[in-house]
Amino acid sequence: MSALLKKDWFGLGLVLIFGSILISLFKPAFISPFNLYVLMLSVSLMLVVAMSQMIIIAIGQMNLSVGAIGGLVAISFTGLMEVYSMSILPAVLIGLLIGLACGFINGYITVKTGISAFIITLATLYIFKGMNLGITEAQPFYEIPEAVKFFGNAKIFGPIPYLVIIPIIITVLMWILMNRTSLGRYMLAYGNNVQSSELIGISSTKIVIYAHVISGLLAAIGGMLVVCRLQLGTPNIGDSWLLPSFAAPVIGGAILAGGKVDVIATAFGVILVSIISQALVIFKIDPFFVQIFLGFMILLAVFINRYREYREERRTKVFSDE
Amino acid sequence: MNNKIPNFVKTNQFGLLILVIVFICIFSFSTDGFTSRFNIYALSRVVALDIMIGLAMMVVILTGGLNLSLGALGVSAAMFGGWCMETMGIPISITIILVLAFGSFLGWINGFVTVRTGVHSFIVTLATMSIYFGFMTLLTEAEAFRKLPEAFTDFGSLKLFNKYVSPLLIISVLTCFVLYYIFKYTDIGRKLIAAGANPDAAELSGISVDRMFIYCHMLSGFLAALAGIMLTARIGAAIPSMAGHLGFDWLLPAFLAPVLGGTLLSGGKVTVFGTMLGAILVTLINNGLYLIDVGEFWVRFFLGIILLGAVLLDRAREYFTVKNSIVS
Repeated sequence: MSALLKKDWFGLGLVLIFGSILISLFKPAFISPFNLYVLMLSVSLMLVVAMSQMIIIAIGQMNLSVGAIGGLVAISFTGLMEVYSMSILPAVLIGLLIGLACGFINGYITVKTGISAFIITLATLYIFKGMNLGITEAQPFYEIPEAVKFFGNAKIFGPIPYLVIIPIIITVLMWILMNRTSLGRYMLAYGNNVQSSELIGISSTKIVIYAHVISGLLAAIGGMLVVCRLQLGTPNIGDSWLLPSFAAPVIGGAILAGGKVDVIATAFGVILVSIISQALVIFKIDPFFVQIFLGFMILLAVFINRYREYREERRTKVFSDE
Repeated sequence: MNNKIPNFVKTNQFGLLILVIVFICIFSFSTDGFTSRFNIYALSRVVALDIMIGLAMMVVILTGGLNLSLGALGVSAAMFGGWCMETMGIPISITIILVLAFGSFLGWINGFVTVRTGVHSFIVTLATMSIYFGFMTLLTEAEAFRKLPEAFTDFGSLKLFNKYVSPLLIISVLTCFVLYYIFKYTDIGRKLIAAGANPDAAELSGISVDRMFIYCHMLSGFLAALAGIMLTARIGAAIPSMAGHLGFDWLLPAFLAPVLGGTLLSGGKVTVFGTMLGAILVTLINNGLYLIDVGEFWVRFFLGIILLGAVLLDRAREYFTVKNSIVS
């Protein structure tokens, strides 16, 4: 039990359960099948985006271009199918390849030049977004194959959409990567302390490039999932990802300095953000409040993390005095 | 041999100056109308704002942090100014003081939370960005203030020096000189730089690093608010979307100018005139790209490439100067 208490996701889990019960007591519409369906859709999409940012936070960097990669892949995916009448599978593969290439560019330049990932990804954000707008001239693609539309909107059973399958697989894979593989461990070690991780023989080049490639791939998947959901490929897909992509991992307890991320906590962070956004809609609160709320949530999470660290410090101090 | 080259040549301000001159030459020969009175006037209006935004970011980069909320803060302050003038009928001079105080206050919030939590200012200002912008949209109901006093809007469209230069540019250049003076010659300015360069050492020598960081954020808020007022004067109205969604349109010039100018992202080094040159370069390129007609949609792409090229070049320059100094 006490081990459970220490987990990042434990507190969040409690908040989630009590929060949901409270909301559904006031507004039974909250647990209506339709609402659950909408909730699951938004959770699915944000989960992939949050994971894409989380892996970069793990190595102590940040990736501003997540949304731009998602947008570029989304329009390439739909463009290939509409303009070049490509079938779905090769279009998906090319989409993934673009995401991989974008991530590789980010990682390669960052690690080879030693310039802050913030500046590199700010530059690539404009490059990818500029390519997106240059190619599409800000026009959306509408011709989407039926299978794609079906995947984005059909339900398996009850309120559960097909769209949740891929995000759940990704979350499981990410958990395995971060907790059960040496690559994941090395990423955390690198994020914690670059120098000491190099001293024990971890290759910085490899770690940074792998993390950015995975981030690019996840952003690509996120972009294509949004296409399935919207049933069209618009150039502004990904524009609004920045805030939520950081919100979930931060609320979930990731420290931005890197070296401490928790996949389950991030997933809980996504669910919490989605539930709150949904609840605000149900209570008919101005949509702009959702944004303000998200901002306050991040600040609150930051303060709570700080407080916990402080308590931890005091506890270890007492211990060493004995 | 190496000693004969004056130090100024080795700095990246010199490289920037050369680049600015090269671009001016390219654009004036390859496009019609680049040197026209109309275009130069338009450039001076844009460059004035880019300089101010760049300075506002520069003073936070000094702490090793950044301020994502810059655009949201500037627009919020500008909207507050619009409300003061239009709804409350407060005189212009008092309004400007109120707006600058308001901007500093929002900056203080950024600084206070950053210092108290010890979290990177990126996350803090990401949060405050959406809070400021959200409240601003909510309170103004996304409506613009268009009936501003004429004396105020006239100032924005004033033409000086044979109608070549906007008075806004003079404000920006003056601000540069004031900041240069503060950082170079005053006690507080040196403390700010010391705190940014090596917080531990500064703390040990009796400087309150936390307070210095909060001052930097307040100064950033102040300059962003000033930029907000200038943009309002330029447009002639206070519009919630004038810096894009969440104020994002300001972010690229905000980072480009100081980074091109040689401000270290790790903090502790500011180059006021470098930032000014950086802003001039960005505006020139932006303007030139439109005149060459690369297509509106590709402008962003090229700006991204230029940012990337600039930081890579800077890296190369650093690499070679270090190598040279080792050889000699």
